[in-house]
Amino acid sequence: MNIGSNLRIGPFEIFDAVREVAESPRQNGSQAFPGKLFVVEGIDGSGKSTQLSLLHKWLESKGYGVVFSTWNSSPLVKDTTKLGKKKKMLTPATFSLIHATDFADRIERSISPLLKAGAVVLCDRYIYTAFARDVARGMDSRWVRELYGFAVKPTVAFYFRVPLETAIGRLVTARDGFKFYEAGLDLGLSDDPTESFQLFQGRILQEYERMIPEFGLTVIDATLPVEVQQAQVRQIAKTHLDRASELRVRP
Amino acid sequence: MRKTYGNTLPGMKLSDLSGKLIVVEGTDGAGRTTQINLLKGWLEERGHAVLDTGMTRSPLAGEGIRRAKEGNNLGRVTQSLFYATDFVDRLENEIVPALRAGFVVLTDRYVYSLMARAIVRGMDPAWIRSIYSMALVPDAVIYLRIGVDELIPRVIFSRGFDYWESGMDVFPGQDMYENFRSYQTALLREFERLSVEFHFETVDGSADVKTVFAELQQKILRIVESDSRREYFSKATDELAESLRMKLEESWVVRLREMRSKDLQILPRTENLSSNGNGHRIA
Repeated sequence: MNIGSNLRIGPFEIFDAVREVAESPRQNGSQAFPGKLFVVEGIDGSGKSTQLSLLHKWLESKGYGVVFSTWNSSPLVKDTTKLGKKKKMLTPATFSLIHATDFADRIERSISPLLKAGAVVLCDRYIYTAFARDVARGMDSRWVRELYGFAVKPTVAFYFRVPLETAIGRLVTARDGFKFYEAGLDLGLSDDPTESFQLFQGRILQEYERMIPEFGLTVIDATLPVEVQQAQVRQIAKTHLDRASELRVRP
Repeated sequence: MRKTYGNTLPGMKLSDLSGKLIVVEGTDGAGRTTQINLLKGWLEERGHAVLDTGMTRSPLAGEGIRRAKEGNNLGRVTQSLFYATDFVDRLENEIVPALRAGFVVLTDRYVYSLMARAIVRGMDPAWIRSIYSMALVPDAVIYLRIGVDELIPRVIFSRGFDYWESGMDVFPGQDMYENFRSYQTALLREFERLSVEFHFETVDGSADVKTVFAELQQKILRIVESDSRREYFSKATDELAESLRMKLEESWVVRLREMRSKDLQILPRTENLSSNGNGHRIA
């Protein structure tokens, strides 16, 4: 269901929220909103999207008002991102900024109002994806963290941890060829897309590992069977939802 | 070596940016664009290569911003970051290469306008400063200061009130005139604050075009041609040194070499002179 389409929040409410968020970037706990925000993170091929869609199904079957938000999907911004990628115009800095712009639009117009309204919001990739990728591209890690200071802190950030070889094995069988920026070809690590992809994902993996303690990411062993991982995810999600039964929109 | 406001973007080399970066700042209707057009022609006449750039002119984000502004749903954080994307695209792909090629870069607004607009829209001043910490410190920031009362007739009799220039997204529920007043007053207040922090050179923007232009010419000449003047003088000094060196070599040096050590004190002096630029040394 799409709660967002029926929502109209006056500019001043967002205005104030932004000020509050911006002035205390790290302390903007999800507890400030009645809704719940679950995000999944991990390198390509970690299986996070599969897990999130299973969580989505489960939450819906339990009667929660669930809204899905994916990385890079803002209707205002995505054309610019597409243009930059297609024409290979993006540098590490503009790559970082255009993704932050996309994320800002989703936060302002969808995620934040929905959480205020009490929805359960699911994000496939969140600010940690930006931190990992941008730092792997050479951006200053403090600068990038400050850039996303307006973000809402997730209720739970699941990190699907998987060794590089496993993830790449899954991807190579699943599709052929990598895109320019996806493979980190802009960094000139290697001319071979597959090799470049491996090197780039290796860097990203390192960044994720660093962020586990920094942001208290909830680690899920993504080498386990899909069902086992999902059971863990649901168990953890449940502990946060038990305290918010009023979120249910239907019995 | 050029400086940034604290953060250097990956791959950006700050050495050899020999051009001049001149910022013209001011609120909407202060006359920036008129002045930049005049300055560009004038500088080119004097033999300088000029790049002029300004907000939303980036190939990457310019069109996207224009499209986003057509609707009524461009949020404040999104807006600030979209403009930042536009700025960085121009910084990396236009401004820096032009400075490296020795151009005079005239920019119609810079990060200060972007900061002021974001802050007036409720963004945290520390947050927006941190984003723009990768901007290059310009050689001069010329601020065309004009009060709201002088501004209003200019706007009314040229293009009329614009939705965004009137901050309709900031102060809903008022009419365009009231909004223009409130929004531009808030911007001016922010500019005053920024002018101290970032050392603006303030010019009275309410004066007529010619007067402002004359003042800008004077300020810009000092920056743009101080180098060539220094070059001229250093060349003259070099020539003088060279002629002195020749004379010294002919008449003194041979004899000096034979003198005792305490009489050699004069030598460092000749060495100073001769090492000034041309690299020749006395054997």
